[in-house]
Amino acid sequence: MKVRAAIAAAVLAVTLMIPANAFAYLTWFEFTRQSNISSTLTMAWQYGPGYYGTQSWRAGSGVSTDACWIGHGWLPTGYYDLKGHWDNYNGAIAGRVFYLQNKPCWNGTWRTELFVHSEETAGQGQYCPTAGDDPYCWEGDYDYYSNGCIKVSRAAYPSDLRLVHDGWHGKSGDYRHGYFTINNWLYVRG
Amino acid sequence: MSGISRSKRRKGLTLAFVAAISSAGALTILGTFGAHGAVPRTGPLSVHAGLQKSPGTFVRGDGLFTGSGARSQLGASVSGAMIGPLSPVAVRSSDGKLVAYNTWQELRAVDADQSFSGQGIADGDALGIPSLRVHDDAGKDLLLARGAYSAAWRHDGAIAFVEGVDPSFRADRTYTGQVVVRRGIHGPDIAWTTEPAHYVVYSWAGDRLIFYRIGLAEKAELLVADGPGRIRRLADGSAIALSPDATRIAVLSQHATNVRVLDVATGSEQSWLDVTTATPPLAWLAYSGSWVGDHVVAPASAGLAVLHVGSRSLELEQVLSLDHADFPVGVQEPRFVDADGNEITATADIPPAKSTAGVSFFLQCHRIARTCERGEPAPAKDWLRLVDGTAAAKEGGH
Repeated sequence: MKVRAAIAAAVLAVTLMIPANAFAYLTWFEFTRQSNISSTLTMAWQYGPGYYGTQSWRAGSGVSTDACWIGHGWLPTGYYDLKGHWDNYNGAIAGRVFYLQNKPCWNGTWRTELFVHSEETAGQGQYCPTAGDDPYCWEGDYDYYSNGCIKVSRAAYPSDLRLVHDGWHGKSGDYRHGYFTINNWLYVRG
Repeated sequence: MSGISRSKRRKGLTLAFVAAISSAGALTILGTFGAHGAVPRTGPLSVHAGLQKSPGTFVRGDGLFTGSGARSQLGASVSGAMIGPLSPVAVRSSDGKLVAYNTWQELRAVDADQSFSGQGIADGDALGIPSLRVHDDAGKDLLLARGAYSAAWRHDGAIAFVEGVDPSFRADRTYTGQVVVRRGIHGPDIAWTTEPAHYVVYSWAGDRLIFYRIGLAEKAELLVADGPGRIRRLADGSAIALSPDATRIAVLSQHATNVRVLDVATGSEQSWLDVTTATPPLAWLAYSGSWVGDHVVAPASAGLAVLHVGSRSLELEQVLSLDHADFPVGVQEPRFVDADGNEITATADIPPAKSTAGVSFFLQCHRIARTCERGEPAPAKDWLRLVDGTAAAKEGGH
């Protein structure tokens, strides 16, 4: 009995020693612009004072490197707030999406309606009815191009989109969906 | 074989050779200096400083300048904050007497490097108000509409633009509005759209109005209105240019690789081109180019692309490449500025670097000689742009 009590006490002690936020780290993303179809999206989390973890994926943005070109250029640099997150978004883009704040580029042009997303259906599936480029189907590298949004791959299993999505929830401990704000959720550099 | 016959044969061969050379030369000369004097060839553009004179009226900051440099004071600084290159920042009326231009009244300064939260901007905070103003050739300047942007003049003096539901552009709110048409600058507004949305007016095509609806992820949808409330979808994507007779439009796919020429009245496709499989292949084209005669010029991944439009064909005629080190983001809004479609003026932007702010300058190029002259740089926030409708060429809509 004493042994059992001792084990229970030890387990409790260990449990209490784990920080309350052990599974809710301060988590954010960084996007390093390198090229339109081969840049890097990094998720970073702070798991202790001065201790950080990171995980990176290939990502794309825009068709050209002019951030002032609406619907054509990649994202402007700087910090972005997150304005919402959905698992089953249903629109011109669909499925798992992260909605970013509006941002002016360097000549003052406003870039709006920007997301981190991929190419999947609202049900998180793939819909590939044609031999050409289908909007809810990840066909290949060409799909990294966007009108300005950050795009990650929906290919393979688990897909980069799933790793980004699940990574975000898992590391941040934030399971909210719909409209909400997280300050400085993304930093775009390069 | 005798010496005479050998000589005759040699002479015959010589004559044949000379004839062949002459024919080839004639063909070359004909090919080189045919129709418009020379054949445009793909290749790099040689760019030199020294553009002394703009090919037409232009705007910069709060000034309207003639090609020779005479300045007229505008009522506010020009800004394409709401439109970028989707629509001209300033556009001249058909009779040439009025210039409508876009402005931006900043309600609070926004640091582009910081997030909204990082500078105390709350969701829904008013950040600025876009307005349209009109400047006449006597120097009078008046407010056309507050909470409005992207103007296009019709041949009869009516003007179309987007009027916001709320004049203020607000943090993290979609700026929705209606496309309205005003008969003259003092007339009442008539809504041509039925649902508020994020629209941008592009151009008139005769009595039809062509405009964008911008959706999620900045996806552009090109619409045409045959009249108030009579709206058709023309294409997903953007507009490169209208034909000079305004019956056809060159449109670009969402991913900027496929060009289609559509009949504006019916929306039917007349020709198409995939620029990624053209010769030479291009990664992309961009919207807001120009169409003169049977040529279309558009921004391209390499610099500039000139397309030849036939009645049922579309071909990549020429690619004019720019040095990426000098022009890291290429050029925007190229315009043919001569009737033959040989001279092109565009705006080149240079993004900010660590110690320098972004700048813009004009680039005037001759596509046969493949040379360009560049103008003096201006701060990018001055919105140095040609006034649309002032180029010398008989041009279609931008």
